[in-house]
Amino acid sequence: MTRDWWKHLILILGVIIVIAPFYMMVSYSFKSPGEIDRGEGGFFGRQELMVDERCVKLRDPDRDDIAVAAGRFPGHSDSDIRDALLAEAQSDCSMRPVIFNYTKAFTEAPLLRYLLNGVIVTASIFFIQVIVALPAAYALAKLKFWGREAVFSLVLFCLLIPVHAIALPLYIMLAKLGLTNTYAALVVPWTISVFGIFLMRQFFMTVPDDLIDAARMDGMGEFTIVWRVMLPTAVPALLAFAIFSIVAHWNDYFWPRIVVTGNRDLFTPPLGLREFKGDGDGSFFGPMMATATVIVTPLIVAFLLAQKRFIEGITLNGMK
Amino acid sequence: MAGLSIENVTKRFGETEVLKGVSLDIADGEFVSLVGPSGCGKSTLLRIIAGLETQGAGSVRIGGTPVEDQRAADRNLSMVFQSYALYPHLTVGENIAVPLRMRRLNGVQRLPLVGGLMPGTRAVAREIGQHVADAATMLEIGHLLDRKPGQLSGGQRQRVALGRALVRDPAAFLLDEPLSNLDAKLRVQTRAEIAQLHRRLAATFVYVTHDQVEAMTMSDRIAVMMGGRILQCAPPDVVYEDPDRIEVAEFIGSPKINILPLEILPDGRLSLQDRALDLAVVEGARGVASLGLRPEALRLKSGDSPLRGRVVHSENLGSEMFVQIDVADLQERITLRATPEQRGALALGTPVALDFDLHKALIFDADGARIRRLRHLNAAASEVA
Repeated sequence: MTRDWWKHLILILGVIIVIAPFYMMVSYSFKSPGEIDRGEGGFFGRQELMVDERCVKLRDPDRDDIAVAAGRFPGHSDSDIRDALLAEAQSDCSMRPVIFNYTKAFTEAPLLRYLLNGVIVTASIFFIQVIVALPAAYALAKLKFWGREAVFSLVLFCLLIPVHAIALPLYIMLAKLGLTNTYAALVVPWTISVFGIFLMRQFFMTVPDDLIDAARMDGMGEFTIVWRVMLPTAVPALLAFAIFSIVAHWNDYFWPRIVVTGNRDLFTPPLGLREFKGDGDGSFFGPMMATATVIVTPLIVAFLLAQKRFIEGITLNGMK
Repeated sequence: MAGLSIENVTKRFGETEVLKGVSLDIADGEFVSLVGPSGCGKSTLLRIIAGLETQGAGSVRIGGTPVEDQRAADRNLSMVFQSYALYPHLTVGENIAVPLRMRRLNGVQRLPLVGGLMPGTRAVAREIGQHVADAATMLEIGHLLDRKPGQLSGGQRQRVALGRALVRDPAAFLLDEPLSNLDAKLRVQTRAEIAQLHRRLAATFVYVTHDQVEAMTMSDRIAVMMGGRILQCAPPDVVYEDPDRIEVAEFIGSPKINILPLEILPDGRLSLQDRALDLAVVEGARGVASLGLRPEALRLKSGDSPLRGRVVHSENLGSEMFVQIDVADLQERITLRATPEQRGALALGTPVALDFDLHKALIFDADGARIRRLRHLNAAASEVA
C-alpha cells in the first residue's frame, strides 16, 4: 500500500485538474458579480442580498408612475413618492445571488427551449446513427462478401478525418440545399458515425457465430437478426456509444454555431451560453455559469445512472 | 419428418479441400452419426445440410426436394449447437418459443405491444405457449422457463437448446457435438436421453461427434469420416467388427485396436513375426500388410507363440482389465483385455505369450484396405500353432 502512494498522488493531481473547472463553474453560479470579480466568498459565496441594477433601472418611475402612486402616498411631494417607489423597486429587485443567477439563466434566454432543442438534436442523431451503424457493423463483422476488408479499411480511414476539415464543404452543401437554419442541418451531417460502426463491429466480432446460425435456423432473416439478436446482446456497447455520441453532440458548439445563424429557436444549449457574453459592458459570469451548470447536469446524471453498464461496454466483454 | 440425401458434395475453404465428394443417404427416422477426428469435415457437412454453408458442388435433398436455393431458415431443420447458442437476453421460455414465433407470427404480430393488438396474435401466442410447455415438460425444464440462460448450468442450457430444436416439427434434427461441453457423468446420462428422445419422436437425427463412444451407443448407423471422405457408413456393430479400412478400425474402439505388421508370402500365406499363420489371401498383391486385433480377440496362452512379451502397464477398470504388453520387434505395445481374476498372472514385468482367434483377425493390405477373401488352411485348428 505504502509503495503505491505515488500512484495515488498522481491520480489525485489528475482528479484536481479535471474537477477544477467544474468547481469554478458551480461556484461562480452561486456567487454575486462582486464576489466573482474579487474572487472571494469561498465555494458558496456569502449569499448576501444583492440588488439587480438592471431590474431597478427598468422600474425607474416616470411621471405617470408617480401620478398613479400618488394615491398611495397622500400628502407627499413628487420627489418623496419617487424615492419611495425607488426604494420599493430596490427591495423587489434584491435577491440572493444564487437565485439571481439561475432565474437570469432561465429568463434572459429561452434556456428551456434550448434544452429541448438539444434533446431533439442529440436524440435524433443517436437514433439514426444506431439505425445506420448496427446493420453496417453486422455486415462488416459477420457476413462474408467481396471487398469486406476494403470497406472496413475505408471505415478506419474515415475515423482519421477531422470534422473541422470538412466543415466548410458540408456547410456549402447544406446551404445549397437550403437546409441551413433547420434541425436537418444540425442532425444530418452526423447520422453516419464511423466510430459507431467501428465500435459496434468490434463488439459484434465477439458474438459467437453459432448464435447467428441458431437464429438463421430458427427462421430469422438477416435484418431480423440485427434487431432481435445483435441489438439486445450489444446493449452495453451501444450504451458506451450512446455516451460518446450524446456527449459530443449535446456539448457541440462549433457545428450549431456554423449552421444556425440568427434563428434563436434552433439554438442548442451551448449556443445559449453566448447570451451572457456581454461585449462592451462585461460578461455576466454568474448567470453564464448557472446556464453551463444547467447544461451539463443532465449528462452527469445520465452518466452516473449508466456508469456500470458504460464501463462494461468499454471493456467489450458482453458475452461469454 | 423426412429423409435426407446427400450426393457428391464438395467444399473447399481457400486452398484446403474440406469435403471431397461425400454421398450419404439417410432414411426417414434414422439416427446417423457423423464421426471422425477434428478437421475431417463432419461439421462442415452438417452445416451444408443445414444451409449455413453452400457446397462447392453436389446436391442435398430433404424429403426428395433439392434445397440448394433455400435459405437455412426455409429448410425446416432444427439444429443444436455445441455452444448451445441460446439468446442471452431472452428467458428460457422465450428462447424455446423463438422458432415458433418466427414461423407462425408475421412481422407485425411479433412487434412488442402493437403485436398483441393484432387479430389472431393472442390465439397463436397461446398455442405457442402450450407447445413450449410441452417441450419443457418432456425435457424436465418446466421450472426453469422464467430464467435467463446465464443463470443455468451447462446441462440445463443443453436441455434448453434441445427444447428449442424440438418445439416445432422439423424435417430432421441436426446436432453438432451437443454433449462435448458437458462433464463426463452428465454426458452419459444425456446420451441415453437423446437416444430415447429419438425413439419417442421417430425423427431423423444427424449427429456430429468426435467421440466414437457417443456414436456407437446412440446411432442406427455410423458414418466414419476422415480427410473429407466418408470411409464407411454402417451400423455400429458392423463398423466395429467388420471395418472396411484400417483407419476406421483404428478410430472406432477403445482401447484402440492392435495393429501388427504382417507379411504376405509369395504363396499367399500370411506370416506374423516370421512365422506362417494358417491363413492365406486368395488374391491381390504380396508383401507388406497389417493385422488388426481387437484387445478382446487376444488371449493369454502358455507355451510357444509368435507374440511373446512382458507386461509393462495394466489398467483395472473393475469389470475388466486392459494390459499393455511390450513385444520384442514391435514398435507399439499390444493391448490385451483380461478379466480381473487374471490379475495374478499379469503382474508388471511378467513374461506372457499371446494367442488369438484367426476368425477375429482383420487383415488390411498395404494401402489400408480390408482383405476379406481369406482361406483358412487348417479349418479344424483355427488357432496359431
